[in-house]
Amino acid sequence: MANKPTAYNNRLGLKGWVYAGNYTFERYLYIGHRLSGLGLISYMVLHIIETANRMRGEEAWADLMGLFASPVFKIVEYLLFAAAVFHAMNGVRLLLVELGFFLGKPQEPIFPYKSSVIKHRPLTYIIMLLAGLLMALGGSSLFFK
Amino acid sequence: MRETRLWSLHILVIPVIAILLGMHFAVQHYAPVFYGMSVEKARDFATMIERGKSTAQFVVYILLLAAGLYHGLYGTRGIIRELPLSPAMVKVVDWGILTVGVLIFALGTYVTWWTFVHPGV
Repeated sequence: MANKPTAYNNRLGLKGWVYAGNYTFERYLYIGHRLSGLGLISYMVLHIIETANRMRGEEAWADLMGLFASPVFKIVEYLLFAAAVFHAMNGVRLLLVELGFFLGKPQEPIFPYKSSVIKHRPLTYIIMLLAGLLMALGGSSLFFK
Repeated sequence: MRETRLWSLHILVIPVIAILLGMHFAVQHYAPVFYGMSVEKARDFATMIERGKSTAQFVVYILLLAAGLYHGLYGTRGIIRELPLSPAMVKVVDWGILTVGVLIFALGTYVTWWTFVHPGV
């Protein structure tokens, strides 16, 4: 007898947004890629509108730049830089995999299976380490000069 | 075929963004590291106007504007179109994204042109 469909047991609640049990590292990178991308395009639109302020003259521009020199905006600026680095580095990984690099040769699907995700995981770790290094370097130049 | 072309363009603009955004970061955010100039000086009105009068700078900004907006808005369109939308809503999303892109590109181009032809401080 077929199982009757039952109501979805949302036992994770809000936690499920960031942790969904069987999510792999790459799944979190996928979420991060989307969130950083949406953040960056939102910022880009705001940035274009905000820099149009220069047309209001030197004083208006100086006021705006004074606001951006505050510690809060320094942190926002760093977060934007970090988002750009993460999005770019993960994008490089996606491009390489999309083009078929680091996936190994095709093979018979014999148990225990080795998925393409597992095959390119060393690349994932190297790229994320590089991203972390770039973020640290960028932060040190921005905050400790 | 149209979607393949749009997706290919989305991928092809990546190196353009990487290089030009890198240059933008170097000038605006890491001026002390790359140009030996304080960030405050790099963002000063007179410096900004002077820099904006260069033809290379003008071309770089228009290209970055076009590439960045296209890549970002195409990605946003893809995320929104994953929702279960009716064909009519898909058209609304497409035209909405296109309108935002054209308007922001027009504003960015106008501001860049305004700086390019500014008489100077």
